[in-house]
Amino acid sequence: MIARLLVRLVAWIALVYLALPLVVILGASVTTTSFLAFPPQGWTLDWYRKFLADPSYVSAFLTSAALAGVATLAAVLLSVPAALALTRNRFPGRDAISALLLSPLVLPYIVLGAALLQFGGLFGLTRSFLSLAIGHTVIVAPFVLRSVLAMMTPEQRALEEASSDLGAGPWQTFFLVVLPQIRPGLVTGAILAYITSFINVELSIFNTTADLNTIPVKLFNYVQYTIDPTIAAVSGATIIAAVLIIVILDLTVGLDMLSEKR
Amino acid sequence: MSSARRYAPVLLLGLPMAFFTAFFLAPLCVVALASVMARDGGGFTLANYTGILFDGYHWDVIATTFRIGLGTTLVCILLGYPLAWYLVRIVRWHAWRRACVIILVVPLFTSNIVRSFGWMVMLGRNGLVNDTLQGLGLLDRPMRFLGTELGILIGMVYVLLPFVVLAVGNTLARVDPALEQASSDLGAAPWQTFLHVTLPLTLPGVISGAIMVLTLAVSAYVTPALLSGGRVTVLAVLIFQQYASVFDQYHGGALSIVLLVLTLILVAAANRLGQAGGRTA
Repeated sequence: MIARLLVRLVAWIALVYLALPLVVILGASVTTTSFLAFPPQGWTLDWYRKFLADPSYVSAFLTSAALAGVATLAAVLLSVPAALALTRNRFPGRDAISALLLSPLVLPYIVLGAALLQFGGLFGLTRSFLSLAIGHTVIVAPFVLRSVLAMMTPEQRALEEASSDLGAGPWQTFFLVVLPQIRPGLVTGAILAYITSFINVELSIFNTTADLNTIPVKLFNYVQYTIDPTIAAVSGATIIAAVLIIVILDLTVGLDMLSEKR
Repeated sequence: MSSARRYAPVLLLGLPMAFFTAFFLAPLCVVALASVMARDGGGFTLANYTGILFDGYHWDVIATTFRIGLGTTLVCILLGYPLAWYLVRIVRWHAWRRACVIILVVPLFTSNIVRSFGWMVMLGRNGLVNDTLQGLGLLDRPMRFLGTELGILIGMVYVLLPFVVLAVGNTLARVDPALEQASSDLGAAPWQTFLHVTLPLTLPGVISGAIMVLTLAVSAYVTPALLSGGRVTVLAVLIFQQYASVFDQYHGGALSIVLLVLTLILVAAANRLGQAGGRTA
């Protein structure tokens, strides 16, 4: 009984701890003072208007959205064929290849960012949208690969073989049999990939310029020197967007991941 | 099997392998190569490594990095396990569990900067945390959090806690209740059942969550950079400085390899620990 109370207490503390910073940012973004204040003094949306009227924020936001889109698409096009090959046949070096393709998940992004900067420098491939997209593709591809691999079950293989035994061509089999089966994993992986790219600082920071900036890097540089309610409004906007995305995901795909599967 | 079947892996893996070789392996090789090159371009040397290994400052930075990393992992498990337990075993009201899961997942969907920024505001001299502690009479004057390891730890645990809760929660949800029932039918006290049945069964989730937190914590850049105020230096920050402001790719390369190797050793150790724990269970 005491143990149960203790668990509840720790859980509540952890929940408050998780929710508080987001509440503070949202609160501080509507203050009428010119400095950050929480609890907010008064109520205004001026800080949101201010950042929406600033073209550099809007363009950084669009750059991030486009970058994440390109990187996610490239990751899907690279990872789905790789996942098919890795689960189909046993061949020498299969485990090593799989480990290689998944390894960006455990490597420090800052090391990868530095490596790509130095490597790109040898070919003049730095500080461009292309160099950003290549780096982001490398770090998000493993997310797609991992969740697609999780969908490749023996049952899935059996259906795939049945399809080709019944005379379907490889493309027909892929689009009519394989794709519908791996779709949940593909969607999860693509969402994770898009978000990972959209919020990345460590990799982008090596390749951005005054004209080519992603929203996280812009925020990062800004926060280090100035703290005012504008930055709280930009942060607040990303929190609101995140909550909306999650609620939509919860209603469509279903996020009830921690309920007991009994 | 037709020959088309046999060549399929080559066709399907060709492009991904080429891409990863060109933009992942090759860049890492360039870094590794730079780490063993002499600064003046005169051939190979281990000077970049000895410069790190025989220097007190670098040991301090490495120690700080891993102290924060291990501390973060420990606190994440101590907070995350009860929270996972609460969400999976205690909450019965679906709407509330949904709300909790949303609270848990929202931070994962917002960037490190936004999350760290929230703590920059709260941990300041006149921030919410100091105000509350003083209001409760726990502190006489404001305590310094920003620019201390404690401040970085608070921010890091916040950023990484959801990973542990999700990893533990998913294994906890799959534990067969019949096993726990059997344990208590055979006369085990609740704490005995937990220690000998439930905990070993959820250990894989704890280990995988811990590995994720540990690797992300020792390589974190944004949170330490924002919460340290330049007073506490971790490896990732030092590496960034080498490439972005000092322009020393040789020293930076050696530091990168040190971080990589230490991270991989820790991951291997945690895996070994998980296997050993699984066996004795």
